[in-house]
Amino acid sequence: MVQIDDNYPTPTSVTQRSTVALLVKPSPPSSSSESTPIQSGILDTNLHLGYLGRHLLQGLPARYTSQDASQPWLLFWSLQSLSLLKVELDQRNKTKAAEGILAMQNSTEGGFGGGPGQAAHLLPTYAAVCSLAIVGAPDPSTPDLESPWTLIDRRALYMFFLSLKHPDGSFRVSSNGEVDVRGVYCLLAVAKLLNMMTEELIKGTRDWVRGCQTYEGGFASAAIGIGEGQWAPLGEAHGGYTFCALAAWVLLELDFPSSSAEKKVNLKNLRRWLVQMQGGEDELCGFRGRTNKLVDGCYSWWVGGCFELLDILEGRDGARKEDVIWNPEGLQEYILYAAQHPAGGLRDKPPKQVLHTRNSYMYHTLYNLAGLSTAQYACQSRPTSTSASTLTPSSDSLDPTSSRSSSEAPSLASSTSASSTQAQPSSTPRTTPSSPTPSALTLNATDPLFNLTKTHAEAMIKWFREPGREVYW
Amino acid sequence: MTEPTRYADRPEWSDVLPVEQYENANPLAPIFYTNEYKDATNYFRGIIKTGEKSQRVLELTEHIIRLNPAHYTAWQYRYETLLAIDSNLEDELQLMDELAITHLKTYQVWHHRRLLMLKIRKPAAELVFIAKTFKVDAKNYHTWSYRQWLLAYFNDDELWGGELDFVEDLLYADIRNNSAWHHRFFTVFQSGVHDGEENRERVLKRELIYVKQSISLVPNNASAWNYIRGILEHHSIPYSRVTTFVQPYTLSMDEQTADLVDLDNPPPSKGAHLPCAFAIEFFADIYEAEGGDSMLKATELWKSLGNEYDIARKKYWEHRIREGLRAIQT
Repeated sequence: MVQIDDNYPTPTSVTQRSTVALLVKPSPPSSSSESTPIQSGILDTNLHLGYLGRHLLQGLPARYTSQDASQPWLLFWSLQSLSLLKVELDQRNKTKAAEGILAMQNSTEGGFGGGPGQAAHLLPTYAAVCSLAIVGAPDPSTPDLESPWTLIDRRALYMFFLSLKHPDGSFRVSSNGEVDVRGVYCLLAVAKLLNMMTEELIKGTRDWVRGCQTYEGGFASAAIGIGEGQWAPLGEAHGGYTFCALAAWVLLELDFPSSSAEKKVNLKNLRRWLVQMQGGEDELCGFRGRTNKLVDGCYSWWVGGCFELLDILEGRDGARKEDVIWNPEGLQEYILYAAQHPAGGLRDKPPKQVLHTRNSYMYHTLYNLAGLSTAQYACQSRPTSTSASTLTPSSDSLDPTSSRSSSEAPSLASSTSASSTQAQPSSTPRTTPSSPTPSALTLNATDPLFNLTKTHAEAMIKWFREPGREVYW
Repeated sequence: MTEPTRYADRPEWSDVLPVEQYENANPLAPIFYTNEYKDATNYFRGIIKTGEKSQRVLELTEHIIRLNPAHYTAWQYRYETLLAIDSNLEDELQLMDELAITHLKTYQVWHHRRLLMLKIRKPAAELVFIAKTFKVDAKNYHTWSYRQWLLAYFNDDELWGGELDFVEDLLYADIRNNSAWHHRFFTVFQSGVHDGEENRERVLKRELIYVKQSISLVPNNASAWNYIRGILEHHSIPYSRVTTFVQPYTLSMDEQTADLVDLDNPPPSKGAHLPCAFAIEFFADIYEAEGGDSMLKATELWKSLGNEYDIARKKYWEHRIREGLRAIQT
């Protein structure tokens, strides 16, 4: 609605106007046979698989040096993107991925770091454990001892968590690090996956998370106590922090339900704020992250994923059509028309000029795909079981320096033809929701609490709860 | 551009044993680092191993931070080193002034400042510095939350004194800057009662007039509507308190009747795009709160939003209709 400028332009409305101009559905070439999948609003699965495989198996260009302290994230973004696209690594590369991640658990501090030898930090810890959920599951045919899951030092991790705790219930992200709701979410998600949720760990956290909710309805990065049980949120309501806060709140409510006397999150204001983040037709129905800011593909997940979290919190099992309060058909248009990069991967938004490059990033690739998954889920009921084919490298040589110039995408072991792996925006509600059209790829469902497929999340949670695997802190 | 001499070629670093990142050189998703970055981080890993804290560690960590400001381990080790060798923290803050502007969107540059400020404890100058960075980006999240932390943590009347004028300047520059609106709410309502603001009734009245005038100038501004909702809810005042003000905004320009100037209820500006969906939503909320027969009036407004004025959110308005009808049935 911000595009209506009431004949009173300001920097916000001027930027908004120029962004809206970029958000057009590409016009297909005159001959329909020449149009690319992206021009037709189809998920170009093979293109994105090539992008992911290239980065994972061959390596990342130097601009990713800015992510050197986020190496578990680079793995998680690509592995989970593959999972959503129903592809998994072959066993050899899974083992390699798991070994790489385990080498990032800081043996002195207990948590995982952003790379080998880096300090322990809550954010890479989440990315590392989630990556292990994808690639480290014990093979039923081999003894458990050989599973990477047995090599996670949970006792050290738990002590690390406790060492970060503030008296007000919040957590620093690392030794001397900042306090924010991303860290709290990452900690709780890991604690849930590894069966480490204790009263001791979460005491006071619920109240602090609630304190991050702002008058707008969304959540801020953090809160500071101002006396008498009052909190002041630091920063305005924001999509990323709102996802983290809501997911943290739901994780706490599932394991330690609050009493009726305890103060709750204001869900009515939250719902209103969430739907206000979705843009209109002229923004291809993408999500923005804050009031009066621009739409961006990553909020497809950070905001779009919140609706499934609300379903869990309010006890709705699966999406009934009438429970959907946002526009998932519209969001698919944004992701498929505006966020797909012609060279593979997904991005925040189209570039300012045709010749101007706007890179896709691993980060945006995952959060657009996860948003597409949740949008599909809201449009149609669908199976939640995971299916996967295997991604294998085209060559045994993965030496980054020698393969750098090679643009060849790794071959896919699966023989899925292009026509069977294309997702189209379902712009009209399906009349037969359980049987998508043959040409549509339904992405794997993602569990909104973790952003892992339900199969991966459930397997890990179950395994760490089996008798004999308790850790006594 | 010449690359700086590698640590490997500098005699004063010859006593440090560089440590490669990977023991076996075949990881998944490797980053193709520049030689300069590889060299510096190899020596940094060597330093961590011996635990050395010295002046040259400050040079090394600054070098790494300039190449990758998100390297939180380098920041963390730098902070520990500053304390260990009793380095001048005000000098460090000056260096940060430069880095903060270059790397505005990095968590670490702002967090490092906060750690320094906990030792230096001179927040007033920080507020001035922050104001400068808003000239580059007036919505930068880290900067705003840092400013709010400074104010709430040091909580000094002198500090708070200039905040309202500061916000007004920013809103004057861009009435749609939601960060500034949030800061206004934070300053006026969410951080205790500051000097000169003891008369809460007067403060509330002032804020209502402020936001009404803002809406009058630019009615289709989500930030301002969120603000008026926020302050009414914060004081548990029903929305119906401002019915007279909101009503004209629910009508088209042709239907406007107000011709006399009512300071409490400023009318929509001539350039406004009416009817305003935020006003219709607000009016529906007033009806919903009344309950009973008014609920049907609310559902009519929600219908008009879903079908005409805010089609993108049709499903949300249908949800509101269902919830409303459920409420009057029970």
